[in-house]
Amino acid sequence: MKNAPLLKIEDLRTYFYSRSKQAFIRSVDGVNLEIRRGETLGVVGESGSGKSITALSVLGLISGGPGVIAGKILFGSNGEQKDLLDGLEGYVKIGREQNRIMQVSKDVLGWERRSDEVMRTIRGGEIAMIFQNPKASLNPFTPVGKQITEAIRLHTKITDAQEAAERAIYWLKRVKIDSPALRFDNYPFGLSGGMCQRAMIAMALACEPALLIADEPTTGLDATIQSKIVDLLAELKSELGTTTMLISHDISVISRLSDSVVVMYGGTVVEYGPVRDILTASISSKHPYTSALLASIPGEEHVRDKVALQAIEGDVLDTINIPAGCRFYARCNRVTPKIRENCERREPDLREIAPGHRARCWLYFD
Amino acid sequence: MPKTILEVIDLKKHFFHRKGLFSAFSGEERRIPAVDGVSFYLKENETVGLVGESGCGKTTIGRTVLRLAAPTSGRILFDDKDITTATTEQLRKLRGQMQMIFQDLDAALNPKMRIRDILREAITVHHKVSDEEVSRRIGELLEQVNLKKGKLSNFPHELSGGEKRRVGIARVLSVGPRLIVADEPTSALDVSIQAQVVNLLRDLQSQLGLSYLFISHDLRVVELISHKVAVMYLGKIVEMGLSGRIAHAPKHPYTHILWSSLVEKQSKESSSATRNTQSGIWGVFDFERPYSGCRFAPRCPVYESQGRPTVCTDPASEPQLRDIGDGHQVACHFPL
Repeated sequence: MKNAPLLKIEDLRTYFYSRSKQAFIRSVDGVNLEIRRGETLGVVGESGSGKSITALSVLGLISGGPGVIAGKILFGSNGEQKDLLDGLEGYVKIGREQNRIMQVSKDVLGWERRSDEVMRTIRGGEIAMIFQNPKASLNPFTPVGKQITEAIRLHTKITDAQEAAERAIYWLKRVKIDSPALRFDNYPFGLSGGMCQRAMIAMALACEPALLIADEPTTGLDATIQSKIVDLLAELKSELGTTTMLISHDISVISRLSDSVVVMYGGTVVEYGPVRDILTASISSKHPYTSALLASIPGEEHVRDKVALQAIEGDVLDTINIPAGCRFYARCNRVTPKIRENCERREPDLREIAPGHRARCWLYFD
Repeated sequence: MPKTILEVIDLKKHFFHRKGLFSAFSGEERRIPAVDGVSFYLKENETVGLVGESGCGKTTIGRTVLRLAAPTSGRILFDDKDITTATTEQLRKLRGQMQMIFQDLDAALNPKMRIRDILREAITVHHKVSDEEVSRRIGELLEQVNLKKGKLSNFPHELSGGEKRRVGIARVLSVGPRLIVADEPTSALDVSIQAQVVNLLRDLQSQLGLSYLFISHDLRVVELISHKVAVMYLGKIVEMGLSGRIAHAPKHPYTHILWSSLVEKQSKESSSATRNTQSGIWGVFDFERPYSGCRFAPRCPVYESQGRPTVCTDPASEPQLRDIGDGHQVACHFPL
């Protein structure tokens, strides 16, 4: 039990239905990942690859049909392991054609009621989230301090208003907001983007969650502020040791803060392993998508030699029309004649290519 | 020797903002000096990058240069002609030669128009052309920006971010401009798509001989695409020079901090050297905060380490851009 991962996601599927296209948007299509206690797991991928939807599925915050339709989310805290999607099968009927889900009927209301029951004790208290857009995620009509106090009283043992307020100030100080007692009474519009982000972090951490999900914590902030927020997260990580799932499309942020990395593409995990194996540009045994992603970052050599950036041709996978073969096939530049047929027809599985390092690519299988 | 296509001399753009209902009578106004005396020039087939934090006046410069906003004072020369006071009629003609790529992808494209109509409108606004000519031109534009023909009958919301950006670029190209102000063309895009757009802009420059004023807060992209870079702080240019020099040998403490924050974000162990340079009073800047002398002094690590010299905060001696060789200019009393 000690060594069991804190969170284990098995074959999670979250779909939405597009009425105009009369088809499913397969936002998350079979995600497997696990987060060990005390570890920071980085999740990278282009927009639309299903990063945020995975996080929202874990928290049971998906609205819109059909939503989460299959999978297991095992969350182990307080000595027991609980499946957050326990009983989901009872609400969903899945029709498959050629091994692909083509029909889903789900009792969305029934499931939401059931999910809320399970999640009430977990959301906020056990799993907290830092949302993508801090300004939009804070209530504009309530002072930030009051919002943090409210979270503390709801999710921790502290119920006394005075005590909770003191606690909130302590956390505002902890995330390095200057003059926290004054900022306590500020409304979100009176704070800068960076400060709102700090307040969000304070709110998430104030409940001392077992798992923190940080969704794009630095996006939309200025470069100087970004580095400050990253510094803060690194510092909090070393002091508190909170298990974190860090979602970002900024590879530099992920490589600085994470222990392991998951690379997502088109709703699936294409590569998974320790950060040094995956995000070090020099190591070649990687999924072609990961290498292409790393190559498209402007680096020293592009500037020095005035060479063109290596863009990944084409666009992010349209998760409505998922191809039969590898999802990255259309944009891949490492298809060899030997594996072409496989790439085109069959989707590879996520298999171990080195100890602790898994990839979903035919290059590595025979 | 390439010709100078755009020259800006001591450009100022101040915004006014009334305080309360009765200020119209009392004359009490708040002045926001978004651009406060900026001079630079842009040569043909060249790119000048403008960097700085959000709110420092980058976009305002771009808009004022194209006369989308009227300058408060200063002069703008386009092709050696003063366009500071050009009339609407004259401007309409000029817009055929200077265009802007807008920052917000979604706000820039009319959501109720199909891509074909968006491009057609741009073409027919400046030239009277036949329908066949329009379709031929649209085909050409699509090829230039590498967009599929099938997308023409789509609406903007059906396109991905990268595709919308391409439509924006195609629309700008449709009038055959020589100067393009590109306002954050790559923010809001993923790195892989960002690389496509950066490559596209560079290819277009070499094919069509365009000049860019490239506005971005992404230092790496700016360094990559620009020949010269101007770093802005609170409405002023604090450092300007060849992009390699700005990136690798910055002289102004602010530029140094901008770069080190980029590097620091990446490295696991932030070196103590960069940490020390950041130990100034690290608030966000604000036009309404009073300052005297150097605008950057309240946040400046050099000001701290020099023991707060009075010359930095003396209102009479605000640092001016001065040449320190090789066209590198810096506005600082104590350049690094």
